[in-house]
Amino acid sequence: MLEVENLQAGYNRLQVLWDVSLEIRQGEFVALIGANGAGKSTTLRAIAGMLPPQGGKVRFMGEEITGQPAHRICQAGISFITEELNLFQAMSVEENLLLGAYLCRDRKLIKTNLENVFGFFPVLAERKKQLAGTLSGGERRMLALGRGLMSNPRLLLIDEPSLGLAPIVVLTVFRALQALHQQGATLLLVEQNVTNTLQITNRAYLLEQGKITLAAPSSDLLENQYLKETYLGRR
Amino acid sequence: MNEWDDMELATLQDLLMTGFLRGGLYASMAVGLALVFGVMNICHFAHGEYYVLGAYGAFFAFVTAGFNPILSLLVASALSFLAGAVTEKLLFYPLRQRSKGEWIMNAFLLTAGLSVVLQSSYRVFFGMKYRGITQYWNTSFQIFGMRVPADRVIAFLIALVAIAGLWFFLKKTRSGRAIRAVSQDENGARLVGINLDRIQTLTFALGSMLAGLGGASMLSLSPAYPFAGNKPLIASWFVVTIAGLGNVGGAIVGGFIVGIFESVSYFFLGSGWQEVASLLLLILLLLFKPTGLFGTQIKSVWE
Repeated sequence: MLEVENLQAGYNRLQVLWDVSLEIRQGEFVALIGANGAGKSTTLRAIAGMLPPQGGKVRFMGEEITGQPAHRICQAGISFITEELNLFQAMSVEENLLLGAYLCRDRKLIKTNLENVFGFFPVLAERKKQLAGTLSGGERRMLALGRGLMSNPRLLLIDEPSLGLAPIVVLTVFRALQALHQQGATLLLVEQNVTNTLQITNRAYLLEQGKITLAAPSSDLLENQYLKETYLGRR
Repeated sequence: MNEWDDMELATLQDLLMTGFLRGGLYASMAVGLALVFGVMNICHFAHGEYYVLGAYGAFFAFVTAGFNPILSLLVASALSFLAGAVTEKLLFYPLRQRSKGEWIMNAFLLTAGLSVVLQSSYRVFFGMKYRGITQYWNTSFQIFGMRVPADRVIAFLIALVAIAGLWFFLKKTRSGRAIRAVSQDENGARLVGINLDRIQTLTFALGSMLAGLGGASMLSLSPAYPFAGNKPLIASWFVVTIAGLGNVGGAIVGGFIVGIFESVSYFFLGSGWQEVASLLLLILLLLFKPTGLFGTQIKSVWE
């Protein structure tokens, strides 16, 4: 479904990604893990068209989308939920969600999607008329996820959904992701919360200093000696 | 009540009325300015030139082509909308591709240069000649016992309709919602599939249209001539500064405050002093409330 080949990206003269290649198949739940500053978010930004890549190829559903503007990539069916969420703070929860379906002109479908999102995150239905800027941290994450789902995406890119959340809320968010996967969604998750992530995903890539250094099924990685020592803090 | 009190009351009514009618124009001009700043981060100093373009457009449509007033106003609006769209595509779009952190300064300098170029072009094409009309509508209204020329009242109503129309557009339509989204979070807008380039062009065109419509509807009160845009530009900048930059709702209230303040200070201090009074008010406000009367922390054009 998504093929990334030798992706190079960075900020001005500072190159962050060096030949990153990865692949996601339909229905998979894939994780991209690594330390702070390894280039995880940069990878997602480059795929989603928020940062023009400096080299390499990104193919989605058989078509090359490298360097396309973000709105085109969204149209192709990739939804990117950023770390900073990028919500419309002065708009209501409902309006944020409706904007998530900006590219959809079928009113009926929009309504169905809205009901699905409310079914998935009941708290959003309760706070429908509340301004996004007044929500709690966990609710914001859910709103960002919900907004990302409103466009009926084929692939979800999710950046650090656990960031800044209380442990109990992190669990809720992870459960939601797991449920989405069980309903057939394809997801690429970027996380620093390695143990939890490996427990819910199918496969994982380890990104270190802008390079992919490991790629394996998540269950294998949980037992990987190197990963245990460096990222899981166990021996 | 003696005679003197009656006169004072009439004067007060007259002042408020003049201020209110003037406020309508300021509000609609300032709304365009606030929109352009709120969405595109452009400190627009060529806004007055679109006011003048609207005035010229209406003059030629009404006088030369002999159209009826409504059609003339529509021609002027369409012309300034188009001019705004072309300006954005030709100047601001390429500048945006090339600027990064220094966008606000670059864009501001571009508008300052554009203002000079447009004023000189008007001078070359139309000459230093006043092109005005005595009136669009040959009638007058009785308001609170005062006779007010129909043109003034209708210009005021047009400003109100334009503002209401903009409100409806921003709140209820898909493109309008996209404009508000861009003003609140540009990256969020890109992520939901909004084409930023299209929204920026639309926003600049709408802002220019509001200015053009203002110039056209005021044609009988202030004729079209190359530098006619300076006064309304300064007044609308004054409005958005006291209201809070990029806040459309605040610009409306601010427009009326400034309109009334100007006519009152004109009466009490005499001609030439009303600008001093306005600037003094502005300085005091900036000293004590630098975000403007309605400025907020969250960025948005109209919520």
